[in-house]
Amino acid sequence: MLSKVKVVMALAALAFTFALQTSARAQDSMKHEDGMQQNDNMKHADAMPQENSGKALETGTFHGKVHSTAGRATIYRGEDGKLILRLTNFKTSNGPDVHVILIAAKDADDDANFLKSSTGRVELGKLKGNEGDQNYEVPTGTDLTKFQTVSIYCERFNANFGAAPLEKF
Amino acid sequence: MNAHVSSWLSHRNWILVAVGIPILVALWWAFRPEKLWINEKVSEPAPFASSTDPQPLYTGKLEGKTHQTSGRATIYKAPDGRQYLRLTDFTTSNGPDVHVVLARSDDQSLTQEIVKGQFDSVELGSLKGNQGDQNYDLAATVDVQKYNAVVIYCERFHAVFGLARLEPF
Repeated sequence: MLSKVKVVMALAALAFTFALQTSARAQDSMKHEDGMQQNDNMKHADAMPQENSGKALETGTFHGKVHSTAGRATIYRGEDGKLILRLTNFKTSNGPDVHVILIAAKDADDDANFLKSSTGRVELGKLKGNEGDQNYEVPTGTDLTKFQTVSIYCERFNANFGAAPLEKF
Repeated sequence: MNAHVSSWLSHRNWILVAVGIPILVALWWAFRPEKLWINEKVSEPAPFASSTDPQPLYTGKLEGKTHQTSGRATIYKAPDGRQYLRLTDFTTSNGPDVHVVLARSDDQSLTQEIVKGQFDSVELGSLKGNQGDQNYDLAATVDVQKYNAVVIYCERFHAVFGLARLEPF
């Protein structure tokens, strides 16, 4: 009977260590990557009367096999220079501790469910909802030539739900 | 002391309950299984929405077929309801009698470089230039959901110079 209690105790200890560790890692990867801002995408289109509003700089569509993810990700620049990521027609699976991040990669493979820990990332915030249109502020100074892909990322399990490689709009 | 209660709450059972409940809570916290069935839908407005600007409806990247072609094709809807196709960062090869047409992206003719037989397409006009940003008016009756591919098409030789499959913006 005593051994049974020991086993149960050990399991409990394991579960808590696991929980603590993942939350610690989540905090680790929250750090922001700051880089020089260098966007050459300022040249204006000819006959587009888009002076009043934000200009779409980059866009791409989501793909994801492990957790099916669909929709479009677009980065806009406002007149004040602020960068905003907007998700449209967006749908992914709900999950615990899911965040929107930019990753320093050209794309993430459909089957690569987990992100390499060495991949540079910029945190944009907790996923506001697993469906629908939503906006996220991109920290000023983020180098979009380096961070080329949007990832829907589960911090707790280091899992990539889906990714959208961005291309010039 | 009530004999019935004390037997249920015997020493061993009490430990199992004290240890088991935290384990269940930790597992629930880590996996949040109920989220599999619960959707969170959000609907934020566009960050720089302005009713005076044309709104992009569909967009896609051009890929070369018989001739190297690159750039982006986007269908916009103007505030007055007019729709038009806009090519940006556009480059293709110059050629005789080159047209811009809309076709169905699943059209079998488009799997070849040279179209043979019937080609179900909507004419948008002669290509204005083989480089640079350009706009083409779309008749209000054109069903873009059906004709969801932009084709740079040489009428004289039935050659597909380049092709862009459109996806919702």
